[in-house]
Amino acid sequence: MRRPTLYVLLTACVAIAALSSFRGDEIVSEPSLAAEASLAPEEVEASSDEQAEVANDEPRHFRAPHNVNLFITEDDAVRAPGEDWFEQQAELFPGRYSYDESLADGEGGWVDKDGKYELRYDEEEEEAFYWRVLTKEELTIGRQDYVQFCASCHGFEGDGYGRSAQHLRPGPRNFQRAMFKFSKVTQALPSDEALKTLIRNGLDGTPMLAWDLSDQQLDGIIQYIKTLSEPETGWRDLFTEIGDVVEVGENPWVGKESEAVTAGEKVYHKNDCYACHPGYLAPPDLAALREAPEGTTFRDNLSYPAIKDSDYTVLDHQLKILPPDFTWHQLRAGTTPLDLFKTIAAGIKGAAMPQWKGAFPDEDIWAVAYYVHHLVTEYKDQPAKRSAFMNALRRDQ
Amino acid sequence: MHRLQTLLLPRLKSCAALLALIGLTGVARAQEAAETVNRWGLGEPASDYGYRFTDLFWLITILVGVSFVLVLILIAIPVIRDRARPGHKASFDHGSSLHDKQVTTVISVITFLVLDAWVLVIAMQDLREAYWAYPDGDDEGVYEVQVLAQQWSWNFRAAGADGEFGTADDILSNSELVVPVGRPVSFQMTSKDVIHALFLPEMRMKKDVNPGDLNKAWFQANRSGDFTILCAELCGFAHYQMHGKLTVLEQDTFNEWEQEASKLALAAFDSEDTESQWAWDWEQ
Repeated sequence: MRRPTLYVLLTACVAIAALSSFRGDEIVSEPSLAAEASLAPEEVEASSDEQAEVANDEPRHFRAPHNVNLFITEDDAVRAPGEDWFEQQAELFPGRYSYDESLADGEGGWVDKDGKYELRYDEEEEEAFYWRVLTKEELTIGRQDYVQFCASCHGFEGDGYGRSAQHLRPGPRNFQRAMFKFSKVTQALPSDEALKTLIRNGLDGTPMLAWDLSDQQLDGIIQYIKTLSEPETGWRDLFTEIGDVVEVGENPWVGKESEAVTAGEKVYHKNDCYACHPGYLAPPDLAALREAPEGTTFRDNLSYPAIKDSDYTVLDHQLKILPPDFTWHQLRAGTTPLDLFKTIAAGIKGAAMPQWKGAFPDEDIWAVAYYVHHLVTEYKDQPAKRSAFMNALRRDQ
Repeated sequence: MHRLQTLLLPRLKSCAALLALIGLTGVARAQEAAETVNRWGLGEPASDYGYRFTDLFWLITILVGVSFVLVLILIAIPVIRDRARPGHKASFDHGSSLHDKQVTTVISVITFLVLDAWVLVIAMQDLREAYWAYPDGDDEGVYEVQVLAQQWSWNFRAAGADGEFGTADDILSNSELVVPVGRPVSFQMTSKDVIHALFLPEMRMKKDVNPGDLNKAWFQANRSGDFTILCAELCGFAHYQMHGKLTVLEQDTFNEWEQEASKLALAAFDSEDTESQWAWDWEQ
């Protein structure tokens, strides 16, 4: 045989071997054609059954699936925001949304020309709800980005049991439960904008990094995450409200920041913030500020935070959370007065921190935000200064 | 070539002026950069053994630089001397005579002895005397840190006030590490998922962190301050974001810090949450 012929034959053999081994593997990196995707369901079902058998006695974090399915084969829909949101969008994008009076049994509703949002009438409840329609192609792209960027912690099924999530506290969110701590929205579920901001900024001091992704990628991932909600919960719950990003309003303390700090100190200590977070006044000063009757005692270790239960469970254990000591711990969602205002106003979902918006005037929340900002900038990461400050509080104890 | 010459030669002065201008701007910009951030050299090492790395780095750089210039000169001499010119044919030599072979061998041996052997001996010495001379577990004053790397952050655990790992007062931190100055800091490291590498550039310390394995490393800081923690092994998409802050404190400040960190760790401890407690026994 002549040499060139031999080389051609050899190359062909190698190529065929490589191709056949590649096709045998279900991890396919390209978003494939719709035809190929439609072949997937039987394979996926079979492999997931096998996996369930193998996985039972393995710790949940170690169940890194060997056959990761990257394709979503069915269209889906998740809850979308209500009328108000559409009114805003109609002003922002003229021509895209129109109001049709005949929809929803005569009640009327918004129509999206692009077909991304749909009003669906629920006959049982006799009410109409807006849904975001998600095509399988759209979800497939979201799924693939999710697997690349999120799955190592949040798990391939979005259950929060990724391999890198072992031993991690606070634990990564379980998307099947649709509960988010720092969404900075006032109601149950965060809006798309809130989730985008959260993912973009990350959560400081945790492995939730500030993700540097494009708008398109983020949107795909967020829509995919929504479809992970369990039936009748989260984005599949008919009656759930999608919250607006917390309303900020005008900052009343511009130009008088130091007054804000003094006022914030008072609000903080008059309103029992020290029940969970540390009290930053010595007990006698605190009693004087609260005009407490003589002989009043405060909780033990007043200058340390007190651990609290959370609604979040990992491996059937209900996690506890230590509220931050602002002079010590890294705050998760920003330390500027504006960030702090939003966090305090919206509260932290699933933790002991309630929503303060509405419970207090905005002015007071702003003041506390300035006070916390002051504590962070003055004492955090300055060990000598901080220990002088804290020791002064503890001297009488 | 000829066309280029006719184009450039009459404008020689303006060309030179242009080049000088570009050069000057470059120098000015470099100076400006050097004033704002010190980008030149490697910076002062912040660990006791750091000078070994810096010295070796400069030794290699200078040796290689000098050899490079020397080789260029040695090539330039025959190229100019034996070139073809009026009344002189270019001369060729395959270097196959015995004399040529002897000269080549002598040059190779000298190069090996001066460059390679010298560097090798120093490197072995550095490894033996510093980088692999791990502090003895029985030594007083060794600050022990367990490292659990993951995609994409560093988890640190120090023993806390009681000096025992796996107890309630262990100081846990994520991507932030606080250590004392003037005391050996000893690491035992493993990974949850893929290979990482703990890199403390100012300390001149770098070591791979492998899943299913326990790697050791150590350093001793010689001054207090804030330094960098990096991952030096490509570990996935967000490898570039896997960094942290190393804070070195003076001994007194550190002792106070350690007491306080232990108390706060106690406050945060949840004994029923067994999954979060990942310490191992310190291996001697």
